Amino acid sequence: MKRVLLVLAGLFVAVIVGLVLLWFAVAGPGPVPPATVSFTSLAPDERAALARRGEYVARAADCMACHMSPEETELAGGLPFETPVGTFYGTNISSSRRHGIGDWTADDLYRSLVWGIGEEGEHLYPSMPYTAYHGMTRADVDALWVYLMQTRPIEKPNIPHDLVFPFNIRPLIAFWNMLYRPDDRPGAMARVGDRGEGWHRGRYLVDVLGHCGECHTPRNLAFATTGPHLSGEVLEGALAPDITPDGLFARGWSPQDLAQFLATGLSPQGTPSFRMYSVLDHSTRYLAPADIDAMVAYLFDGRTDVEAAPPVAVAADRAGDGEGHRLYLGLCAGCHGSDGQGRPFSAVPLQGNTTLMFDNPRNLIRVIDEGIPARRLGGMMRMQTMPAFGDTLSADQMAALVNHLRERWGGRGTEVTAGDVADVIDDDD
Amino acid sequence: MTVNVSMTINGEAVGPVEIPEDLMMAEFLHEYLNLTGTRISCEQGVCYACSIIVDGAEGGRIMPACVTGALWCDGRSVRTIEGHATRDDEGRITALSPVQEAFLTHFSFQCSYCTPGFVNAATVLVERLGRQPVPRARLEDEILEAMNGNICRCTGYVRYLTAVRDVILATPGLVTGDEGDAA
Repeated sequence: MKRVLLVLAGLFVAVIVGLVLLWFAVAGPGPVPPATVSFTSLAPDERAALARRGEYVARAADCMACHMSPEETELAGGLPFETPVGTFYGTNISSSRRHGIGDWTADDLYRSLVWGIGEEGEHLYPSMPYTAYHGMTRADVDALWVYLMQTRPIEKPNIPHDLVFPFNIRPLIAFWNMLYRPDDRPGAMARVGDRGEGWHRGRYLVDVLGHCGECHTPRNLAFATTGPHLSGEVLEGALAPDITPDGLFARGWSPQDLAQFLATGLSPQGTPSFRMYSVLDHSTRYLAPADIDAMVAYLFDGRTDVEAAPPVAVAADRAGDGEGHRLYLGLCAGCHGSDGQGRPFSAVPLQGNTTLMFDNPRNLIRVIDEGIPARRLGGMMRMQTMPAFGDTLSADQMAALVNHLRERWGGRGTEVTAGDVADVIDDDD
Repeated sequence: MTVNVSMTINGEAVGPVEIPEDLMMAEFLHEYLNLTGTRISCEQGVCYACSIIVDGAEGGRIMPACVTGALWCDGRSVRTIEGHATRDDEGRITALSPVQEAFLTHFSFQCSYCTPGFVNAATVLVERLGRQPVPRARLEDEILEAMNGNICRCTGYVRYLTAVRDVILATPGLVTGDEGDAA
């Protein structure tokens, strides 16, 4: 008996020692290439030009989506993100030396963006998308650093993340990194032979800076984005839809539509909702037309709009009468139109609306339940408030309305029940 | 497509009336019932000049008549600006409602285009506080919240809001707690 215990204890110690050794082997960052500019010898106009470029990198990388305050002060941090492992709070990345990153070097910034290792050697949570930023070029990091260092310091303390055990033990991230952090040479994604410059630029903007996959790619149990690339995922109670070429074509998107959507937020398929609105508002509406086109070229993989095939109505006879149709005419048609044609800057068309075409009815139910605030769009345009109907409609009525909308314009015949509606609403209340 | 709708408007049974299925309440009131007091302004449900009261089990609810289909009101009970004053047997107005009276004595409006909407919103608020009184300290916030959707381009709102507050304080049972200072 004693011997068995001794062997077990020995094994236990060996495992612990092994894990500690492994930790030291994998905990550090990978190589950090030298800076592309000599920061100390920059002329004022060179520094200003580099800062402007860095601001553009910050826009393309959508730093603000996470690093703004709940009151939308950019770079101040504090915005909460609810995940299955707890609540993350975006951090202050202004030039404040006390609360922000004002005392970071460009190397520190590179190490955090590309390797997920903070200034003091601490492991960043992968909620900071270093697995995507891993591909950033050193030149972009240098420009970004010059920009961030000359932003206004915001003296606002960070809010500690509120995570459940064992996810609150930071050093364990080293093991996550061992499994899921890319270990190829950073900043040098393999070129794909037959694709052009635009496609490659688009891939850099979509997969690296834009980190679109952080929401749109399915995650595994360890919360790593290992599923089919950009094929859609539910995060924070909303569906980030399938944006593969097949997924986009199946919902009737053409490359032109998507370019318009990214640049202005207006498209025949609707306007961005949930977190995607923040992506438009803080990132894509600032991008150069050539970069928007590059993203679209990559997302459609060079295919053209002849393949766009919006779904057709199913069970069209149910559009004629019934509870859902009556509710639509009573509460929705005043703005969205008797035939779903919509009204400019007031209500999106429902003919061709992308949200009605998702297999998962979650986003549609939430929009009807919660409404949408008035929106500032790109190109000096605006979209009006959509009121919330959660207090007006029962779960049965909402299910009837959702089914009518999905059948009439979404080509979705699957029945949504009052129970489904209640589940979605309870989830998010 | 036409449909038949029936509803109660200001206490009187209306219908069945045959209407286009997508007719909005504002047109129904104006064109079919000659109730033209409901003011149509933005026609997209944001200014609340056209507000009507749709009654339900949990009391009255404000709905913008410009974008609310008549079908929604089928079988329901609706109140419009024409229904607030007391009338004699021949339909002549004998007394205004307390809210209407207060808006007049406070000079709350100038052009009056938004007034029907304010009357309805204030009336729904007064009725709600009758069912669920609020602490005196919260009253101003409650009033602002309840009236915030109504847009007025003439008077700057203050006289509307103080008129509503005075009606509420003059009506017993709408607020709880010490009226003078913090309880």
